[in-house]
Amino acid sequence: MALHLNLLHEEILEQRQRQRDPLKIGIYVLAGIGALLLLYYMWNVYRTLETKSRLSTLNNKWARVEPTVTAAQKRVDELNGVIKATRALDDYIDNRFFWGPFLQKVSECVAPNTQLTGLTGAVLDDNKGVEVSIEGVAAGREPRSVAEDLRQMLIEQLKKAYGDVKVEFKSLEDVDQIAMVGGTHLAMARYTLTISLKVGAKPAASPAPGRGKKK
Amino acid sequence: MNSNKLTKDQIQKVVLSAMGVVILLYVYFSFFLSPLTRSRQSALTAIKDRQAKLEGSTEAINKATKLEQTAKTATARFAALKALNPEGAPIAWFPPRIKTFFANQKIDKATARLDNTAGAKQSDLPGWMRYNWLIELPQADYSVVGNAIAELENSEPLLAVTKLNIHMLPEQAQFQKIDLAVENIITEKK
Repeated sequence: MALHLNLLHEEILEQRQRQRDPLKIGIYVLAGIGALLLLYYMWNVYRTLETKSRLSTLNNKWARVEPTVTAAQKRVDELNGVIKATRALDDYIDNRFFWGPFLQKVSECVAPNTQLTGLTGAVLDDNKGVEVSIEGVAAGREPRSVAEDLRQMLIEQLKKAYGDVKVEFKSLEDVDQIAMVGGTHLAMARYTLTISLKVGAKPAASPAPGRGKKK
Repeated sequence: MNSNKLTKDQIQKVVLSAMGVVILLYVYFSFFLSPLTRSRQSALTAIKDRQAKLEGSTEAINKATKLEQTAKTATARFAALKALNPEGAPIAWFPPRIKTFFANQKIDKATARLDNTAGAKQSDLPGWMRYNWLIELPQADYSVVGNAIAELENSEPLLAVTKLNIHMLPEQAQFQKIDLAVENIITEKK
């Protein structure tokens, strides 16, 4: 085997040491990573710009549409308000208590031998019902039964149109006066009737009441 | 000397390089990539919002068009109800109107005065007021009054009689004195 003499040993060692210089390798690695990061950054810049461009297009589109949409939404709110208000007004109109038909019913119940001297009525709050007080006098051989007939008649007639009808005597007392009915002298009684009722079914359009019975 | 073993100088250079890498990564992520990502994320959020608004806009316009058609009756009725009451302060036109109304019903000397006002009870009626009036009919026949009240209720849909008081006149038994409390819903006209 031939003998080799390495006369450049020191130079080769120096060259090897230069080649594996950690700082140099570090700079290479750093540059490599830097290049990769730069590429990644550029890719992100591109995506961001593309996204912003899309946003800008949408913004332009929205700016064109927005006045119409705002006007449409305002109109919808306005119309909803009108619909609700109309419904509320219709409810108010429909839920009113009509006194015309009531007065007619009362007048139909008053017989010739009774007389109403006063009628006071009020619609309770929130349409909970109606309370009426009727004052009058009845004449007859048995004036109390005449008044009772009037009460029964009122119950019968009012039940046809209203719910929860109650007609009760608040007072019923004989009076000393004598009434002349059809040429006959008759005893008299004074009564106060209280009527309470609830408006059930809506009465038909308020008709005119019949002839009054105030005698 | 083992050629694979790092010298002190080389170790320092390796440490220096590692520090360089760390600083580079920190600067890159903190000052470059993060703001960019944030900016993109906010743009994406804005895009979603705009897209939702644009999709909703078509729906809103269609809804308005449909509602406009379906609400025609309500709109016309609402306008008609509003037109029932004339312009101006109710105290100026309501009493004369009532006086004329009862005069046409053959009941003279009708007077109406304002009792009080309040906002409409119904929450759906903003801008509408309740006016409570006291109407006095000093002398009238029961049947005439009945007719007149029925006519009033039918011709004034926004008016409701809340109290009624009919009393016989002691000196003229065929006539009665009538007091009415009525409530009228009136829109506030500006």
